[in-house]
Amino acid sequence: MNNIALGRYIPGNSFLHKMDARIKIISLIVFFVGIFLSYGSSVQNFIMYGVYFVILFTLLKVAHLSFFSVLKSLKALWIMMLFLLVINTFAVQTGDVVFVINNFAVHEDGLVRTGYIIVRLILMITLTTLLTSTSKPLDLTFGLEWLLGPLKLLRVPVHIFAMTISLALRFIPTLMEEANKIIRAQASRGVDFAEGKLKDKFKAIISLIIPLFVSSFLRSGELADAMETRGYDPQGKRTKYRRKHWKMKETFQIIGCGCFLAAIILLAVYKPDFIATVQGWF
Amino acid sequence: MSIKLNHVSYTYSPKTPFEYEALRDVSLEIKDRSFLALIGETGSGKSTLVQHLNGLILPSEGEVQISHYLLSCENGKRKYVDLDRQEEFKGKKYRKKQFNIRNLRKYAGLVFQFPEYQLFEESVLKDVSFGPKNFGATDEEAEQMAKDALKLVGLDDSYLPRSPFELSGGEKRRVAIAGIIALNPSVLILDEPTAGLDPQGEKEMMELFKKINDAGKSVILVTHNMDIVLKYVDEVVVMHDGKLLKQTTPLKLFQDEKFLTTTAIEPPFVFKAAKALISNGLNLNLNNVKDIPTLVQEIKRIKHE
Repeated sequence: MNNIALGRYIPGNSFLHKMDARIKIISLIVFFVGIFLSYGSSVQNFIMYGVYFVILFTLLKVAHLSFFSVLKSLKALWIMMLFLLVINTFAVQTGDVVFVINNFAVHEDGLVRTGYIIVRLILMITLTTLLTSTSKPLDLTFGLEWLLGPLKLLRVPVHIFAMTISLALRFIPTLMEEANKIIRAQASRGVDFAEGKLKDKFKAIISLIIPLFVSSFLRSGELADAMETRGYDPQGKRTKYRRKHWKMKETFQIIGCGCFLAAIILLAVYKPDFIATVQGWF
Repeated sequence: MSIKLNHVSYTYSPKTPFEYEALRDVSLEIKDRSFLALIGETGSGKSTLVQHLNGLILPSEGEVQISHYLLSCENGKRKYVDLDRQEEFKGKKYRKKQFNIRNLRKYAGLVFQFPEYQLFEESVLKDVSFGPKNFGATDEEAEQMAKDALKLVGLDDSYLPRSPFELSGGEKRRVAIAGIIALNPSVLILDEPTAGLDPQGEKEMMELFKKINDAGKSVILVTHNMDIVLKYVDEVVVMHDGKLLKQTTPLKLFQDEKFLTTTAIEPPFVFKAAKALISNGLNLNLNNVKDIPTLVQEIKRIKHE
């Protein structure tokens, strides 16, 4: 739990840190679209995922983040992946048989499907972490509010949503810290979170969850009071201390983003057999 | 049977952007039955230090010996050794069962800062008996231990069935402290136990710790309150920037003018007053001055001489 808390802003001065949060959010959405598109055969899909990973590594390098430190904080994900692998190998019985264990055939489709989910999950989580760790919560709120702006016409309280989301993001690391503190306090009372029988573990979890809930509620009440004393009014119009100016740089970035989206959509629509094309060159 | 820290250093989140060295080469010995205070400004490593004392945190470098348990970290791997059972396991490969960390937690009970937040059971009795039950007491034993501990912290039987969440802040604090006292630890460690309590509550709390100390247990507490340091404790450890600056008695600490100015420690008012009286010709014995009543007594004594 002492790894980098997910979603925490890590101060820095890189290109990604300076980038406008709005563009970062749009690019994230574009990437997500790309991740879920199909580019023909599974081999082609995995090649495209490879391309995404290359982009991801470059971005991580630019932002001075380590891919492994992000992965390390995703311990729970590994258990899920194992679970998915088991379920998929049992449930999916189509495609070529890859190998047979004790009369049980493991089919290609099962493995491929698990591969998809795992790769997509890693890509999505890492990309999102990239967004939240290079943008200040306040910038994110602003970005979200701006992007959801059109919904205001439908009388959707966009700024309240944006505030809620940014507060939730803001409190992830605080809650992690709080949980750590409670775990240690209960460990002093003889709770063993790592070992013990199922019943003991259940009790251990309760001894963590209840205090965490209680303190979260207290905290939210205090936060609401603190916001109100500083004049926060959910209905009021909020002015910005730092105005974001849309410059040439931003325009180029958004055009680049659009081109990337167009390219992946074209690839997905026409599904060109690029393996054959590459083979044709030789 | 004592607590020893040998060249202990501790770094939070090593090799990340949040890396922070909280303790640097701290060596310290806490003898049995001592009443010791840890002082130092916020962020000086006091809370990190106390968590080493019951094995919640293992040192990044150096080793901690608590009674016959030796804790250290070798190349990033935790290492626990039970010195009493070393012969038994000599030459055998290290296994978890050679060491039960719970025994250590029972030996040194740690009460965190603002312990109110660790309450979770539906009744005070259940919450306090939670600890003893974890350490293998039967339900009846645990309840008896809980009742005794609650009586000790000044909460009578009418509190037993009440929900801990409906109590006042000070009462919650007492319940939480009782939760650790019920374990009957040989060393009681408290991280700012009186923070946020009213003066009366503070006094009662400190009298309780004194009683526990008089009963032959060690009491180690983190505090910012110099009045407490002067009045109750026998030994002071001064921390600064993760380093241990001084381990001394309160009397010596408050007399060391040079040290006080460099560390910005403000001696208690009573102590300053007594010193002013001495410098104006009153022959007081500083050893006897602990608080206002004792100062008055000392002045009376001189008057009668």
